Amino acid sequence: MNDNILVLEHISKSFPGVKALDDVTFSVKRGDIHALVGENGAGKSTLIKILAGIYRLDEGEIVFDGKPATFYTPNESQVAGISVVHQELKLSEPLSVAENIFLGNLLYRKGIVDWKAMKKKAAEFMAALGIDIDVDLPVSSLSVAKKQMVEICKAINHNCKLLIMDEPSASLTEKEQKVMFETIRKLKAQGMTVIYISHRLEEIFDLADEVTVLRDGQKIDTLPVASVDRKKLISLMVGRELVNEYPKEQFVPGEVVLEVKNLNRAGVLNNISFKARMGEILGFAGLVGSGRTEVARAVLGIDKIDSGEILYKGKPIHHRAFKQAIKEGFGLVPEDRKVQGLIQIDTVAENICMVNIDKVIKHGIIRNDMEQSYGEEYVKKLHISTPSVDTEAQYLSGGNQQKVVIAKWLMQNSDVIFFDEPTRGIDVGAKAEIYLLMNDLVRSGKVIIMISSELQEILGICDRIMVMHDGEIAGELMREEATQEKILAMCV
Amino acid sequence: MARTSSNTASVRTSTGTSKFAAGFGKFSRDYAILFAIVLLGIIFSFSSPHFLTFMNIRNILQQSTAVGIVAIGQALIVLTGQFDMSLGQNVMVTSCLAAYLMKYANVNPWLAVLAALATGCLIGAINGYLVAYVKIPPFIATLGMQMVCMGMGKIITNDSPISSMPPQIAIFGTTFIGGVKYGVPTSIIILVLMYVIFSFIARKTKLGRNFYAIGGGQEAAYFAGIDVQKYRLIAYMIAGTLAALGGIVLLSRLDSAAVTSGNAYEFDAMIACVIGGISLSGGKGKIVQALLGTIFLTLFFNGMTMLNVHPFIQNVLKGLVLIGAVGIDVIRNKRK
Repeated sequence: MNDNILVLEHISKSFPGVKALDDVTFSVKRGDIHALVGENGAGKSTLIKILAGIYRLDEGEIVFDGKPATFYTPNESQVAGISVVHQELKLSEPLSVAENIFLGNLLYRKGIVDWKAMKKKAAEFMAALGIDIDVDLPVSSLSVAKKQMVEICKAINHNCKLLIMDEPSASLTEKEQKVMFETIRKLKAQGMTVIYISHRLEEIFDLADEVTVLRDGQKIDTLPVASVDRKKLISLMVGRELVNEYPKEQFVPGEVVLEVKNLNRAGVLNNISFKARMGEILGFAGLVGSGRTEVARAVLGIDKIDSGEILYKGKPIHHRAFKQAIKEGFGLVPEDRKVQGLIQIDTVAENICMVNIDKVIKHGIIRNDMEQSYGEEYVKKLHISTPSVDTEAQYLSGGNQQKVVIAKWLMQNSDVIFFDEPTRGIDVGAKAEIYLLMNDLVRSGKVIIMISSELQEILGICDRIMVMHDGEIAGELMREEATQEKILAMCV
Repeated sequence: MARTSSNTASVRTSTGTSKFAAGFGKFSRDYAILFAIVLLGIIFSFSSPHFLTFMNIRNILQQSTAVGIVAIGQALIVLTGQFDMSLGQNVMVTSCLAAYLMKYANVNPWLAVLAALATGCLIGAINGYLVAYVKIPPFIATLGMQMVCMGMGKIITNDSPISSMPPQIAIFGTTFIGGVKYGVPTSIIILVLMYVIFSFIARKTKLGRNFYAIGGGQEAAYFAGIDVQKYRLIAYMIAGTLAALGGIVLLSRLDSAAVTSGNAYEFDAMIACVIGGISLSGGKGKIVQALLGTIFLTLFFNGMTMLNVHPFIQNVLKGLVLIGAVGIDVIRNKRK
């Protein structure tokens, strides 16, 4: 049977200077979970925005549910039966679960809002998907995973035939992700078609029936998931054989550079002690909210500490402000690259020189020529792919943006650099480049402390792993002994 | 539309003409206001033979001086992504204070000017402290300060104008360099000087660069080690001091200070910034655009008066210009 719910034919879409989608043709079978993969900039988000009615296509034809479909507004797309669950949740926090599900789609009885009916129907939705959430609770009281469920209910409430999920698992823990997968499978069992987008390839093998690979705006292939393996999929995505996803180099660990003793911060951190050595990458694993970022913030003087001792190169230090920590030789590649890491509207050169701006100031005057040449130096050193150093950071891909963030700390010549989720939302090819860069740093005697939610990454590139749970260090593992199971057992 | 075409132009980089087109596109985007000024000039010169005379142009520039100086401070704060609603009343209270000190307290005029500048700076410092450290939203903090200044001005002047200043004060406005007929008044020289100095500070010093950085992304600035709170405070202090300087220039030009002085200057300064092309969302724009915006505004209303448009209607138009300019700014940001 050839029952395709969605047929895309020769879809093209250009933006000034970029062909975001180039003659893309594929179809999605009714009742399938169809994965969409590709590196950043491959055209996934553009495609989704066209389906969601946010962008209009330049050329091509879309047939949805047997009818030609061109959506001019998000509302038209929703009415036709397409709903999108975005990575960032779009819920109203103070409102109740039921209110959120029916937001923009309220039920009325004699012209008056019918809360009773809505609560009943919301509860039915939840029950059908096997979710246990009290629909009277305000959304703000729910965990991220449960919020995600509410988002899904809200999406399918709109007469949904095709549910598009754009990296829904990015902020979920492994356990929460499994629960979400159950929900998606139940939806599938009820006849829903799902387009699923994720950077985590293992999820695709776990969940999807078919996978479409996009690269540079073009469709590379559509395949049954069962017919490909991870390696093949990656090579389709990046257009070449990726020899090693985790190119780890090991060095002989040297002296202890940073030692933290019994660090406490009421309600957040409890007796945190660890040592970081020269020549190694120290990993911090644990669930979201287990206090990993908070350790970095406390050491760097961003948050105040209640008690504890920090020894840097043998001497006790106490940072009262992050500024001071930077002067001492610390650096941070922050969790939220777009907001905390970069000034989007500033140029690559300006961003690179932002921390060590004094280096391009002569007699109190900023020398643009020096800024440019430092910019160019680091663009070359880190292989940052950008049209020029004058390009605004917002136009770079995620991987290249992250390299700009790292360049800031190279220029500052920081000795201890915290990497907080350094590869989140970055595609496989660019990830490997970030790891290579970390190798270079370690080789040159820097200390790297990496916080990550991706266990494979932790296992792949860290020399030593601190596992955190509930604000405490739950255990320490050496690279050789660490396994996914051991870490997970300590996490929970 | 101009935007799209210039973007496509910048993609085809290799040929000389398109490089020129791209450069011109950027220039026309940054200085669209310049074309508007020229256009307005042409229209008004057709309507009135007096419009394009040296005297009238000098007059327009002279009328722009106080607002123009206030607009520098407003522009610096707008670059950090905020604004100051108290600048107009700051102009008023500092000019009244200077006038009072000179006239009734027999204070040396130079000392009186210094006292006014210090007061302006202090008002800015309080604003900055409330906004940056106490974290009161700028709109509320500076609106409150506006009321405080208004009341203080009334207390100082007892609600009646103070006129006939000592002659020394003329150096801030009405002394003509090069003769009264064809010379340039000092107020214009001060205005230009301030723009030169602050354009330089904004573009070429760490201070200015940090203003841009904070406006471009407060968190990213913080995570690059910039003391965001301190620089916000400094921005308000500079703006407050410049407002006081505007107050002195105004006092010199009018030879009088009253509670109506500087009325709504914070608005005019904000309109000037926005129609000049400085983004209200922060981090983008050039100081000189505030000057062009100010000139446009003065020109516009000078022309209106010449064409006998009723002042009430002019008020309506001013409001519409502000809304329109902000609307354009919002749409411009959205397109990204």
